[in-house]
Amino acid sequence: MHIMEGFLPWQWCVVWWLIALPCLAFGVWQLKKVMEKDREALPLLGVTGGFIFILSSLKLPSVTGSCSHPTGTGLSAICFGPWVTSVICAIVLLFQALFLAHGGLSVLGANIVSMGIVGPLVGYTIYRLLKDTSVNIYLTVFLVTALADMFTYVTTSLELALAYPAEVGGFASSFVMFLAIFAVTQVPLAIVEGIVLALVFKYIVALKPDILIRMKIFSEKQINAARGDA
Amino acid sequence: MAQKYFLEILAVVAVLVFCGLFLYTSSTMTGAEFAGSDNVGSGLIAQLSGKSVESFTPLIPQYEPPSGEIESCLFALQAALGGIFVGGVFGFWLGQSRREIVTENM
Repeated sequence: MHIMEGFLPWQWCVVWWLIALPCLAFGVWQLKKVMEKDREALPLLGVTGGFIFILSSLKLPSVTGSCSHPTGTGLSAICFGPWVTSVICAIVLLFQALFLAHGGLSVLGANIVSMGIVGPLVGYTIYRLLKDTSVNIYLTVFLVTALADMFTYVTTSLELALAYPAEVGGFASSFVMFLAIFAVTQVPLAIVEGIVLALVFKYIVALKPDILIRMKIFSEKQINAARGDA
Repeated sequence: MAQKYFLEILAVVAVLVFCGLFLYTSSTMTGAEFAGSDNVGSGLIAQLSGKSVESFTPLIPQYEPPSGEIESCLFALQAALGGIFVGGVFGFWLGQSRREIVTENM
């Protein structure tokens, strides 16, 4: 999902930075508040953030004959919301921009918007919609992580299509072309990521159910039911 | 049993199917180079804008890993860092829950 340094006109770099910066500032503020309220939240942040570090470094082959990486942002979006997740993503993306030539400083804003803001925001919306329903919590985690991953790549396609509309068919036709590269490659990766992170969530539920209940991530009844049957 | 470990079994099956798909595509598909989709995307940008890929130069100068070895080293470092966080916290939680059991029994 990295847009490479130099491949986005500077006007668009500025636009995406302007969108990303307030979100990051809000995320830092929220992060401070969470930490002040509950020190036990720090280990949970370590686990969810750790998975973003691990998963976003794995470039996996896909059915389209090219490679792409999962994002791992779903768990953090569920536990801490999309804005705190943006801050973690910004750290990972900055590391990759500085040392790996994946993305770059000028396109960092655009990459933060796709991986750190839109993806987690979509995931968080799904979590809020399913949270108080009878849907199994592991199914919720699966849907949130898989779709947060997918929409990261849809956003990258959108960002590129806006900057590079096709001569014939304009924005829509180049959006479809970028989707064919980024989103189609991502489908199997997103499904596997969703299943793996649902499994990870099972272990969090087994080891530390009280933190999930105290932070009101899921209700006590849902957590107890999940511990009983899975 | 199957119910209790449903997610574990599903994860193993998903990973196996994923590997199977990879082996299938890599042996049947012609022209599958398994390059990064980032690079494929950059190729399309070049095609759409009618410029060559080489003509896109960084707006802000950046460090590039001199070889694939160094790049994979840095990626491994990133994953290791994440692994330390995850493993450390799971161990911490496990220890916490053990301690609770011990104090309850005293």
